[in-house]
Amino acid sequence: MFTVFLQQSLNGVILGCIYALTALGLSLVFGILEVANFAHGELYMLGAFMALFSTKLLGAPFFLALLISMVIMAIFGAIIERGVFRPIVGKPMINSMLLSFGLSTALANLALFFFKADPRKIDSGLAEIRFRFFGLHVTAERLVVLVLSVILVALLAWFIQYTKTGKAMRAISQDRVAAQLAGINIRRIYSVTFAISGALAAAAGTMVGAIFFVSPEMGFSVVLKSFVVIILGGFGSIRGVIFAAIIIGLAESLGGGFINYSYKDAYPFLLLVLLFMLRPQGLIGGKRS
Amino acid sequence: MKKQVRLLVAALVLIGLLFIPKLFSMDYYMHMFVMSEIYTVLALSLALIVGFSGQVSMGHAAFYGIGAYVSALLSVNFGFSFWVTIWIAGIAAGVVSFMIGVLVLRLRGHFLAITTAFFGILVGLVFNNWTTLTNGPMGISGIPRPTPFHFAGFNMVVQTRAHYYYLGLAFAALVTFIVYRLINSRIGNALIAIRENEELARSIGIDAMAYKVFAFTVGGGLAGMAGSFYAHYILFISPVTFTVGESINILVMIIFGGMTTLFGPILGAVFLTVLPEFLRIAGSLRLVIYGVALVVFIIWMPLGVWGSLKSFWMGQRQASLQTARENPERL
Repeated sequence: MFTVFLQQSLNGVILGCIYALTALGLSLVFGILEVANFAHGELYMLGAFMALFSTKLLGAPFFLALLISMVIMAIFGAIIERGVFRPIVGKPMINSMLLSFGLSTALANLALFFFKADPRKIDSGLAEIRFRFFGLHVTAERLVVLVLSVILVALLAWFIQYTKTGKAMRAISQDRVAAQLAGINIRRIYSVTFAISGALAAAAGTMVGAIFFVSPEMGFSVVLKSFVVIILGGFGSIRGVIFAAIIIGLAESLGGGFINYSYKDAYPFLLLVLLFMLRPQGLIGGKRS
Repeated sequence: MKKQVRLLVAALVLIGLLFIPKLFSMDYYMHMFVMSEIYTVLALSLALIVGFSGQVSMGHAAFYGIGAYVSALLSVNFGFSFWVTIWIAGIAAGVVSFMIGVLVLRLRGHFLAITTAFFGILVGLVFNNWTTLTNGPMGISGIPRPTPFHFAGFNMVVQTRAHYYYLGLAFAALVTFIVYRLINSRIGNALIAIRENEELARSIGIDAMAYKVFAFTVGGGLAGMAGSFYAHYILFISPVTFTVGESINILVMIIFGGMTTLFGPILGAVFLTVLPEFLRIAGSLRLVIYGVALVVFIIWMPLGVWGSLKSFWMGQRQASLQTARENPERL
């Protein structure tokens, strides 16, 4: 029983890493463009497909495929920012929500049309390597997810904290007008933000595609859970988002393992409701808009 | 427009609508019109929450579904008549939306939207997984039609689509009237004040939370009644009808028409029920076209069709666009 608990917890943490990557990208876009991007899940889905095609058609090894998909989705993210989101920055929030939902519908169905619905798996070549410790089974794939997530989050934190572009991003999220007055090229930062968010989503999608499956409809539930993570974790706080992502991952994994698997998508919501009742100011007590 | 003129126009439109079954005898068209009526009720009830009170809900289809399931289960299992279950469905959906409203309406903007979306998913999961009650993904079939209605020597049977059309027309007209009266009352003024500036509204003594919960409850209850009507019209319900996608569909309808007007949601509901039928030619690319059209529409007509026309007439187009631009957090 205890081993099962540990095993499920480990799976929960790995799931949490995935949610952390998607939620961080989402929270960046939200903080800087003030846009709730429901199409974020589609970046994640398309990223997974890019990696799938890189391994299947080009025969690229897993890590190269991951890199390829991150680069492609970064470019794609910048393109949709320029073409779709820029005209509505600063408009009422319901507009940006529905716009991104329209984009999400279009992209998901386009993917369904071209890639078909049958679930496929990205072959990472790591599934055969297994580790055992304290009675736990861990495949190398899952360890890679853990390590890669930590590396990517650390890179992101470093980028936002120390580079000039990162500082500009923080400035814009605090006060857009003041940042513009200080000479920050706000449009360039918008594109960079979307590119980073696309790359992180692609990385998350690729890793999920390696452990589970790739399919055109994988995006929507992930984007909603990432929003829950952001609400739980508070805005502008990388630490809070990671913490909340792991809690959500654990809730889903342990709830699915011990209570009832068919309701696994409901546990994050129940957690959220519980939070509203017990701590209306948020888990970390951060700023709310 | 003066009040009398407005009433006259409304009466004329209603009389005109009475002749629709005479003009379109094909079942397929009549089905589209009945669905338009159901969506009109849904869009108006959502407009009360989103358009007039400014609280974005992405879980409206959940209340629609709760109403449908309550009504269907009562009539299939206990033999209740539609004329009873529609009220019970409305009350049940209203009670649930009251409870959810109390819980989530202190959130604002995106937070509220996402939480309500999650509530929609939760309800969908219950419909799918509580198999002993809801029969899971198989849905509930064999829902009886409304029983013949005897009232003061007047005999009403509901059999053909034309009958449903008239019943739905009465329903939609009643709901339109209720929403019209609501938004033109003190309550409506309070709701609009909350939408425009919640802090200011509270500072002049409006209990914002109570009004928001009230709008949410009434909206949810009306959606539940629409669900009951749907269940007894289609005679079969399953979880796939009441997804978050459907909630967003209703949201798109009210945005399309212009959600801060009364006529806008009706226009959006009718138009977006009929239009997708023409897109069926596009086959599997239908939803792609829908998504792209939505993107283009939001970029070019942020106030909705009716809203844009209205502000164009009033010569305030620039002014209202300006306010929308200046207050991105308004909604």
